[in-house]
Amino acid sequence: MILTSLDESLVAAAQRGSAEAFSRLVDRHQQALRAFLRRACGNWALADDLAQETFLTAWGRIGRLKEGASVRAWLCGIGYNKHLTARRSAARDRAREALYEAERDETKDAASEDKLALERAMATLPDDQRACVALCLAADFSHSEASEALGIPLGTVKSHVTRGRQRLLQALEASHAVC
Amino acid sequence: MPSADDRLKALFASDEPPPHDPPFSTAVMERVMRRRFQEELAWLSVLAVAGGAALWVLWPVLQPVLVTLSRGFAPALGAFVLAICAWIVLGGRLSAAPGAVT
Repeated sequence: MILTSLDESLVAAAQRGSAEAFSRLVDRHQQALRAFLRRACGNWALADDLAQETFLTAWGRIGRLKEGASVRAWLCGIGYNKHLTARRSAARDRAREALYEAERDETKDAASEDKLALERAMATLPDDQRACVALCLAADFSHSEASEALGIPLGTVKSHVTRGRQRLLQALEASHAVC
Repeated sequence: MPSADDRLKALFASDEPPPHDPPFSTAVMERVMRRRFQEELAWLSVLAVAGGAALWVLWPVLQPVLVTLSRGFAPALGAFVLAICAWIVLGGRLSAAPGAVT
């Protein structure tokens, strides 16, 4: 409750033009937004770029944020739209992919089999399902919060989460069976 | 034995970004400030162009008015400027004088 009211006062100050208040909002929500985007697009470098663009857009639209609205859900909604737009830009994806693969090769040895299996399984999920799983299973969003953030009906979010969870667990079990 | 959901959550948690990341926050705010500066510059440019255009359009009307006004107000304006200069010079000396009440 205290955290929410702190967010509200920071949003109110940012709406009056305080860059310092906005900077505190960035600091408070960067982890949730970047984690969501990393899981939604599977590419850390691109996810961080998208997170920066999301905050930039949020600064321009902060005046439209309604009183009492969840800042975290609002930011994830903007970030998700940016991710969908970036996906449509194939040329950009290819350039980022090369960078991502280079980074990924360095960390592959250290990553556990489970983690790799999870990443692979996440990559096979459709965009909407993947975003729902990233918010509800990984980031503790409620179904209604995820529905608000992604602009997807509540029932669809619930079914996406159930199906996504099933597929991830199957992938983990399969990975264990192979080991 | 952790539940399946706990395992999933633990795996997801293993690649979370740090709770505080000053380089990331700084990079964001740098871009925000750059954007703000560009917007302000654009706004001032529009104002300057609009002001210049308005002056250009109104100049034929304004010029005779300003000439007439400046003739009538020139002595008063001169006296006002002198008074301001005197106030600045004397005010500075008086406040700098030893024992002056500030």
